[in-house]
Amino acid sequence: MTSPTPPHSPPSPTASFYDMSDDEEGEYNTIRHTSSGRGVKLLYTKSKVYVHPTPSAKDNIPGFIALVQQKGPVESNDARPTSSSSARSVHASSLLLAWVPESSLGDSYDTYVKVDLSDSSSPPRQSYLVPPPPTTTTHANSVGTYAFAVPVSEIYSLLVRPPSIGWWFGSLVANTKAGESFPALFFHDSECQSTILQRKKLARESFDPFGDGGGMFWGGDEVLRWLKRYVNVERSGAEPSIYLIDPSEEDKVSFGRKATTSKSPRNSTDGGASSSASPPAAKRDGGMDPITKTLKEAKWNFLEKLSQVTTFTRRTAQAVAENPKVPPQVRRLIQNPEVQVLQEEFDSAKIYLARWAMGIQEQSERERNQRIWTANDVLEMEESSVGEFEILDMEAGKLSMSDLRKPVTLKEWKDFFDAQTGRLQITPDEVKERIFHGGLHPDDGVRKEAWMFLLGVYEWDSSTEERHANMNSRRDEYIRLKGAWWERMIEGHSTAEEEEWWKEQKNRIEKDVHRTDRTIPIFMGEDIPHPDPDSPFADVGTNVHLEQMKDMLLTYNEYNKDLGYVQGMSDLLSPIYAVMQDDAAAFWGFVGFMERMERNFLRDQSGMRKQLLTLDHLVQLMDPKLYLHLQSADSTNFFFFFRMLLVWYKREFEWVDVLRLWEGLWTDYLSSNYHIFIALAILERHRDVIMEHLKHFDEVLKYINELSGTIELQSTLVRAESLYRRFQRTVETIDKKDNFPLPPAAHRRISSTRSASASPPPKTTWAASGAASTSTGTDRGKQRQSVGDVVAKGIGADKEKVISPELRQLLSREVEKVSKAELKEHGGGVGGA
Amino acid sequence: MSSKKKVLLKVIILGDSGVGKTSLMNQYVNKKFSASYKATIGADFLTKEVVMDDDRVVTLQLWDTAGQERFQSLGVAFYRGADCCVLVYDVNNSKSFETLESWRDEFLVQASPMDPESFPFVVIGNKVDVEESRRMISSKRAMTFCQSKGGLSYFETSAKEALNVEEAFSAIAKQALAQEEAGDFNSDFPETIPIDLKNDRDGCAC
Ligand SMILES: Nc1nc2c(ncn2[C@@H]2O[C@H](COP(=O)(O)OP(=O)(O)OP(=O)(O)O)[C@@H](O)[C@H]2O)c(=O)[nH]1
Ligand SMILES: [Mg+2]
Repeated sequence: MTSPTPPHSPPSPTASFYDMSDDEEGEYNTIRHTSSGRGVKLLYTKSKVYVHPTPSAKDNIPGFIALVQQKGPVESNDARPTSSSSARSVHASSLLLAWVPESSLGDSYDTYVKVDLSDSSSPPRQSYLVPPPPTTTTHANSVGTYAFAVPVSEIYSLLVRPPSIGWWFGSLVANTKAGESFPALFFHDSECQSTILQRKKLARESFDPFGDGGGMFWGGDEVLRWLKRYVNVERSGAEPSIYLIDPSEEDKVSFGRKATTSKSPRNSTDGGASSSASPPAAKRDGGMDPITKTLKEAKWNFLEKLSQVTTFTRRTAQAVAENPKVPPQVRRLIQNPEVQVLQEEFDSAKIYLARWAMGIQEQSERERNQRIWTANDVLEMEESSVGEFEILDMEAGKLSMSDLRKPVTLKEWKDFFDAQTGRLQITPDEVKERIFHGGLHPDDGVRKEAWMFLLGVYEWDSSTEERHANMNSRRDEYIRLKGAWWERMIEGHSTAEEEEWWKEQKNRIEKDVHRTDRTIPIFMGEDIPHPDPDSPFADVGTNVHLEQMKDMLLTYNEYNKDLGYVQGMSDLLSPIYAVMQDDAAAFWGFVGFMERMERNFLRDQSGMRKQLLTLDHLVQLMDPKLYLHLQSADSTNFFFFFRMLLVWYKREFEWVDVLRLWEGLWTDYLSSNYHIFIALAILERHRDVIMEHLKHFDEVLKYINELSGTIELQSTLVRAESLYRRFQRTVETIDKKDNFPLPPAAHRRISSTRSASASPPPKTTWAASGAASTSTGTDRGKQRQSVGDVVAKGIGADKEKVISPELRQLLSREVEKVSKAELKEHGGGVGGA
Repeated sequence: MSSKKKVLLKVIILGDSGVGKTSLMNQYVNKKFSASYKATIGADFLTKEVVMDDDRVVTLQLWDTAGQERFQSLGVAFYRGADCCVLVYDVNNSKSFETLESWRDEFLVQASPMDPESFPFVVIGNKVDVEESRRMISSKRAMTFCQSKGGLSYFETSAKEALNVEEAFSAIAKQALAQEEAGDFNSDFPETIPIDLKNDRDGCAC
């Protein structure tokens, strides 16, 4: 539903008969009677004030908030004062605070716009008449349109929520003396021309678009300012978002002694008055009036919740804004975020708000990344954003060696080798360390060569000659393998079952190739006709690289029959092929990669389960608080990391970053399971958001899934390394303690918490085999739980931490491969039984 | 009825790889089709607010899953609490039709709904835009299957051409809502929408 566009009057300046110039007399009553019989004086108004009838932004209704003057019981002069003294003479009952939808204004729309844009800080030269809005004193009367106009004398209080750094709309609710509340009015300041102008003006005059309270000037400030000209407006000390209108003495008492009277006459710096009083931290329930209570219990319940989120966002945003290192672009972003995006997904506002805050940080990281990362950067960042998560064991000196982080160029690579023999002159570990930290140069062709080593196609100790021979025989072998299935495709398969499997696999591969990385230039478009008229892609066509991908995957399907092609493999092949641009080389590189990835694709998913379990143990050990939270959110299956672990973050990072990430992982420099530390680094990066805002499995999953494309690689790598080192140290510490008998006290405590009947000997406490095997028979059979319990109880006391075999394996650089037998049994291909 | 319970309906979409589950969901929620959606790995969901016949607003949470069957074993966590299950096949691929039954059985085992007999399934035959000569499964055959399974609703769609997609999902929403209302009320989504919904909005009803 689009908001109705306001009708436009003819362009003539005096087109509207409501638009009158009678300011001199101030006798508008007379004029009203003579001209139309009805009409009220539009004193002040503000546009783009919305009612949000439903959670969906498309239902928002734009309108005007207005202060109008009608004929009151006391005949009065022009209410729009020319001096502050005359203002008070207007009786509050002759003033109406109104909200009218744009769509209902008809001809008077232009008048509203004019009044909105007129300078409200000085006396008007003209006064404007508009049709009277329907006077309503209860919300129930305003059926259908939400429009209302309530005598200011009937207003008991206003509940005013300023926007938070322009993120959440500021809002205002009028509460009447009868205990009625009108719908919340939301000030879409970024659409409101007058607010924008007023902000500019404030910025010009005081070089500060913020009020003196630090909050951004907004539409609601202006409404308070109007009212203050005519009535006494007092801010409640007990409940700082409540403003009392002409409060009685009792009201003042019940709202706390701290109430600040703000009767200051209008002046341009008065704009931020609403936020100028800095009340003490308000006790939520102390001295709350019935209206506030009702509001809290009903309508505001939900917005309350959101405002809690907003508090977080504001804190984060402010921290970012105040950080002198934040680039100006980011600062601008903070001041002008895309509020609409949030509105459209009101439902998941929590997550969006959180993501927004993270987005700012990610962006500032990207900005900073233009120089080389140092350990200090990370330390700073961790302090400001990740809060409690500290990197204690950071080897600042070592990591800040920025040379280590420059990519290896083709020249540097060539220099590693003897010019004559082509044999490596330094140790493979030295090469790996360079690649691990610096990566390979993305554009100079070094990858083509180096990846062959990293993927195990070339031996590290080979000579140029040997590598030539190697590649030649591999080319032959590729052609032979390819020929084999090609032949079979024409001549038919030995069994019907095989035939069926083959057909299915072929379809699967084709479908997947056509939806793999199609935005990468070499895979883009279709410029050759499809070779097979029966293919579902016959009409669409294909391109030569897609056909190569298909052939390589079909060949792999043939080469590794026990496993065959499984979805996700196309994602693993495409970067290798794109770098090599040579099908045989890419195929064998892929085969090398698959040796370590095979376990991810087994039919019984045992390899994936194990990695998810390892991540589970790792989080328990490294961040027990986060673990407990994930547990409460039903998320300790870590399923939300499934995609990342299966295809090594292929879907989460940008293409160029994937190449860089993978070559680092292929080195096995610190661990052959280093990808698990990448997962931990990503998780830790977002741990505050997760802990504060994500309470259910689906929220966690959605949040993590949508990180895709937003993760900054460089800082993730640095964080992963520091996490790895901390992990290593933790294990060492625990292992060391293992060699000494425990002090008796600790000993007793452990046995009681573990409810073991006999005190286990110290050795078993630190046993490498996890809790279950060290405990009595009653604990057997719930190994995971036991590990969790032990760690959970041991928060802060590393005495009770356990190093499971899964964790210990993280320290190994040996690649875990699936055995032939296992593959036959669980591969799910046709090679098996 | 000024404040209403927020209704979240959980729908699981199952079917062989490549039948168009992701495309259907995106066509319905985002009104677009792209030939380059990647094969789904793991699971994800999209949400959409739907206005029901009685003007009630419900939120559909549509779960998209990977089609290759081995990936199902880890992903069953989110089957639980489903209000409706959508079984998708490709009308040009008989294998994908033949596996519908096992998708259904697998779902019933994993989700273990209170009353499996009455649990709502909706069957969708997708890709009807493809030329007739490629079609493998006739409407008649599909409808016979649906009849034999206790009268499941059946829709033929094209995610590519946006054919019948809206209709299929609105039936899905209806059945899910009926299921949710029939089921227990200890829903895990207790938040209420605080803003009054009692009034009709003015004019525009688009
Ligand atoms: N002609 C036609 N093609 C379609 C239609 N829907 C999907 N496709 C194509 O079919 C292929 C698979 O579509 P997806 O939506 O990714 O299939 P999926 O069921 O989600 O597959 P998995 O994620 O692997 O389980 C893609 O190439 C789509 O472009 C359709 O209605 N008509
Ligand atoms: Mg999919």
